[in-house]
Amino acid sequence: MNTKRKTSDMLVATAQPATTTDGVSLQVSGLKLSLGGKNILRDISFSLREHGINILIGPSGAGKSTLLRCLNQLHADWQGEMLIMNHHARQWPGGTDALRHQMGLIAQKPAVFPCSIEKNVTFGLSSRERKHPPAGLIERVLRQAVLWDEVKDRLHESAAILSIGQQQRLCIARALALSPSMLLLDEPTASLDPRSKQLIEASLSQLAETMPLLCVTHDIEQAQRLGGQIIFMCDGRIIEIASADTFFTRPERLEAREFLRWSTCDCS
Amino acid sequence: MKLSPFFHVNNRIAKTVTVLLAIPALLLPAACLLYILFKGIPALHWDMLAGTASAVSFGAIGSLWPQVAGSLLLMLGACMIAAPVALGIALFHALCASARQQRMLLSLLHLLQGIPPIVYGLCGLIVLVHMLHWGICLLTGAIILAVIILPMLVLNTVHAIDRIPLERTEAARALGMRDGQIVRRVWLPAAWPSLLTGLLLGMARALSETAPILFTATVFSGINWPDSLFSPVTSLQTHIFYLAQEGANAQAVNIAWASAVILVALVTTFSISASALRKIRVGG
Repeated sequence: MNTKRKTSDMLVATAQPATTTDGVSLQVSGLKLSLGGKNILRDISFSLREHGINILIGPSGAGKSTLLRCLNQLHADWQGEMLIMNHHARQWPGGTDALRHQMGLIAQKPAVFPCSIEKNVTFGLSSRERKHPPAGLIERVLRQAVLWDEVKDRLHESAAILSIGQQQRLCIARALALSPSMLLLDEPTASLDPRSKQLIEASLSQLAETMPLLCVTHDIEQAQRLGGQIIFMCDGRIIEIASADTFFTRPERLEAREFLRWSTCDCS
Repeated sequence: MKLSPFFHVNNRIAKTVTVLLAIPALLLPAACLLYILFKGIPALHWDMLAGTASAVSFGAIGSLWPQVAGSLLLMLGACMIAAPVALGIALFHALCASARQQRMLLSLLHLLQGIPPIVYGLCGLIVLVHMLHWGICLLTGAIILAVIILPMLVLNTVHAIDRIPLERTEAARALGMRDGQIVRRVWLPAAWPSLLTGLLLGMARALSETAPILFTATVFSGINWPDSLFSPVTSLQTHIFYLAQEGANAQAVNIAWASAVILVALVTTFSISASALRKIRVGG
């Protein structure tokens, strides 16, 4: 889907110094996290460009979801350095809550609130903006999430009646309503039907033209379809970062080769 | 897969045994209730509900409204004190307490729930009535009843918050919402039927407690309506207790039965309301 974009544009060297460079939205250096005395993330270093898709893959328990939660500050006790739009995450103007507006997180299981579709979209806005949403905001974000055509006539109906795939796209729209600088997606299409997957992938491809996306997936075919930069994690470490073309055809590291072999083998 | 015929036979035996075990458990309270209604309904007369209250008749003549009002005032006072405290403790449990503190808090609440109410009444008598010189009054009784229903209300609130899907809370947090906003906009709207159910059950419990208010809040007679929070009250529970001791006086015993019917009706009203709210929650 993103073959038109040169993958070299999105490749950024790993383990860069803490001073950010132009064109980089996120730079993480030496990030570590321990939970319950166990090292979950070890010396994580990577960067994300201003736009483009970045796929985070690896075996279960590698720390992919935990990394996303650290970036969104849901795990706040990480160590290391995180520069977001040239600001240190720890010194973000307005604090952690304001920073979370910039780092839209979409969970694996869609969590819609028990209110209307429209109110779900504006749920994260300030009370004044909820009462009087900016003109065209709801339509714009629902279009970006490829959901507008399906819900435009029933915005006042409960979000609970939507299918799981629609709910997931509603969650994307809800995060977009906050005008985030980047989107973090934790297996957004896990257990969805092919049509919903296709719609979400279409939405992600559109969004990637304007902002960086970091998407966790276990679906190798989806990672190949989305393309972009692949960040391969194993045992709490980043093992390899490469363009999708390179990673899926000529992975450098043994762990990556083993992972691809197991992920693509026919176990039946 | 075809099930063995023994499966069906065993299943039927198990069902029969379960029903046989359940019957005494249902029959005993049902028999008590029926007996109260059998004895109490004939003793009820219109003056008890609509007549003028007499402060000197010892309940033998005139209205029982002072007793009903006293019980309801004690119950409302207890709930008004206990409900915000319970919500505060439950929010501390959910938002601030470490896993160890949560475990300790829950253990303490279960322990407090098991303490006999009369022990709380004794504490109220010593500390509030004698040491603080509040005397036997509405406020003392309401505080003691609040302490009695507090563990139940806290546990109910904790469980109501626990039942809210974690994904929803995390989604709200990921949207940059602060704890206060999450409580106000996510937790309370989702948990209010459970909280209201707990409160109604707490009301029913407060309405049925006798021993603790016996020596902290109520007098037998001489009071129609309390003048202030520091006035003693009469209550249906203690009224029944006093009248039942007058076994030789048929009129007193009759009034005790009638009072019991009114009390059962009040408690049942709160329990049925709680049950209806639970259905709304399940349905919703």
